[in-house]
Amino acid sequence: MSAASNPLGNSGEPATWNFNLLAQNDLGGFGGMGEGMAVQIAKDGRRILWLAHESAPKNFTGVDVSDPRQPKVVVQTELPQKHMRSNSLEMTGDILAVAYQTQKVGQQPAGLELFDVSVPEKPRSISFLDCSGANSRGVHQLWFCDGEYVHMASGAPDFKPSNKIDDQFYRCIDVRNPSKPVEVGRWWMPGTSATDNVAPPPRHPLDKGYRAHNTNVYPDRPDRLYLCYIDGGMFVMDIKDKANPKMISHWTNSPPYTGFMHTAVPLFDRNLMLVTDESTENAGKDWPKLIWLLDIRDETHPVSISTCPMPPLDAFANRGGRFGAHNIHENTPVPTSWKSDQIVIGTFFNGGLRAYDISNAYQPKEIAAFVPGAPKGSPAGAVQINDVFVDEREIVYTVDRFSGGLYTLEMDF
Amino acid sequence: MNEIFPSPAAGLFGRKLKRARGHRVPVTVVTGFLGAGKTTLLKRFLGTPEGAGTAVVINEFGAAGIDDALIRTSAEETVLLGDGCLCCITRSDLQLALRRLVMERERGEIPAFRRIVIETSGLADPSPILQTFATDRALGETFHVELVVTVADGATGLDTLAWSAEARKQAILADRLVVTKTDIAGQAVCDALCAQLRGLNSRAEILFAVNGELDPTRLTQGSPDTRNSFVAEAEHSDGIGSFVLLEQAPMSWTVFTRTMETLLALRGPDLLRVKGFLNVEGCHGPVVVQFVQHLAHPPVELDAWPDSDRQSRVVFITRNVSENQVRDLFAAVRALA
Repeated sequence: MSAASNPLGNSGEPATWNFNLLAQNDLGGFGGMGEGMAVQIAKDGRRILWLAHESAPKNFTGVDVSDPRQPKVVVQTELPQKHMRSNSLEMTGDILAVAYQTQKVGQQPAGLELFDVSVPEKPRSISFLDCSGANSRGVHQLWFCDGEYVHMASGAPDFKPSNKIDDQFYRCIDVRNPSKPVEVGRWWMPGTSATDNVAPPPRHPLDKGYRAHNTNVYPDRPDRLYLCYIDGGMFVMDIKDKANPKMISHWTNSPPYTGFMHTAVPLFDRNLMLVTDESTENAGKDWPKLIWLLDIRDETHPVSISTCPMPPLDAFANRGGRFGAHNIHENTPVPTSWKSDQIVIGTFFNGGLRAYDISNAYQPKEIAAFVPGAPKGSPAGAVQINDVFVDEREIVYTVDRFSGGLYTLEMDF
Repeated sequence: MNEIFPSPAAGLFGRKLKRARGHRVPVTVVTGFLGAGKTTLLKRFLGTPEGAGTAVVINEFGAAGIDDALIRTSAEETVLLGDGCLCCITRSDLQLALRRLVMERERGEIPAFRRIVIETSGLADPSPILQTFATDRALGETFHVELVVTVADGATGLDTLAWSAEARKQAILADRLVVTKTDIAGQAVCDALCAQLRGLNSRAEILFAVNGELDPTRLTQGSPDTRNSFVAEAEHSDGIGSFVLLEQAPMSWTVFTRTMETLLALRGPDLLRVKGFLNVEGCHGPVVVQFVQHLAHPPVELDAWPDSDRQSRVVFITRNVSENQVRDLFAAVRALA
């Protein structure tokens, strides 16, 4: 009966269970959203949700979510080039860090831009760190929660990968002087640089690349980086010496799984870690893409102990677009983020948004789901829930990858 | 097993919940005598937005097929239990019916549902239905009885209460009472019925419905806080009485469980329903406890008290077990603890 506890059933039809939808906003018709979400309390008391877009023409959007039942767009910025995307953003205080990636290597601009958003309607550029290069597509993802360092997955002008799709690696940028960001450390998976003395890693059947993705660092262990490396798996890194990151441990599920490891979130008090895959193929061709629970009592030896149960492939695979895990709420270490080590809230593209009770880490249990209908104008033909953030008020924000924009919800469990 | 990965945020009873049912599917039990208007009430409810996604489980007694035919036109799924009294003969059928609903949903054979309404036979004692969710762990994990609604016929209810012990028990165990056919019965008869119902069950809200018209939320939302309903000590016919145990100081969980274990062992069949909020030593939020006869539902800690009142309040509906006996037992166990 474990799977039976979900009254949504397994028909794959739109349904909501134990979430209350408060509002949807298509963000002025530019509702194709990426995987950057951050909440700012503006000086005038307004609560602004900053959202990254999946692709051009928009750069980022600020939404007043003071009343989550009536989210209002306060600013929406443009990218200078159509070949750019700003898929990721994070913020500390009033400083917003935005990642710029280009479609092809060698294109510009690609890099990291810092904005002062103390007046949300008027974001003001503080600085730009150029990460473009002959072998670089720039920055895909970044983490910026302490006001001092940006940890990011980025290419660089001086980096030549052993395989052209392995261009983004871990870079640590000192932004204590935000007008002059400067790299203080970097690390790549051995074998992915053309200059390495070790053999390049073997390619996976779907060959999504050996690149850095999420680069999470928490104040509980400021000397640790939890790094996912797409087809390379997950690395626990010692970054006590930022100039010289050292690998502590490595865990991967692929093969036999199909790679694309995305996010690692440690639950320090419980000696657990959440690791997500990302589904990147339509029609469930890379199924199963999962949220994994790891026992990290010994950080040098992470052990997989369970996964969050998924609805059946048959019901969702052919609804349109992707089906499988992607982003989770990351207990972002900022005052405006909700923190839980008993509930996991994750996004599953056409499988919607799902919440799991992991009180018993060996038996995660689904306790809520939100699967809206296909948003108007979506080329996928089904919702593609892409990212999620929960604020300290326990309001849940989630976004569609193509056109649905923002959904605000309450947890009801 | 969980001690390997304890969460400092968890309480004595695991994850703290926003509400007692947590994520489980809410169940409304609608009881009341034959012809009282249960089906009419339900049919109306199923036509409202609040009624969408409701699966109805019907127990029939005598009027084979009639109720089912009515409901099937409105509800997305109906399970017909067949002849027999749900409470004493076909309880296992209720379990099977609920499991069947779950399995058929899993196979995609029926639409999703978000709520269950169990319409009992007119002759049913609701206690065994409540027990089912405590004894069947799989069902208890999936479903949560949100409330028991008892429908009383405004015209004939007084007579029924006079001759039927089952009807009296239905009224006593209800969380909410609905008096129907008030247009036929006349004011005086209705007033007398309400007085009788109030005497049997002073906790429950009394509502009125003509032709099944009722605020649909009254069939879905239980009382958020059992402390808000006043309970006077009352002695009814059949030896059934009710009282409230109030405690200002936080209670020791050991004392509470040892007392209840003793009470359940000695007088389990006479504890018709025990339900309430406890202020337990070491817990941040209230602990919801519920017992039906000799069975205890797993306790649940809520993440917050609804207001500044921290008083424990447990409603006892018992047969020939007095408040003083229960209080004395608590005092004795506390003295020995």
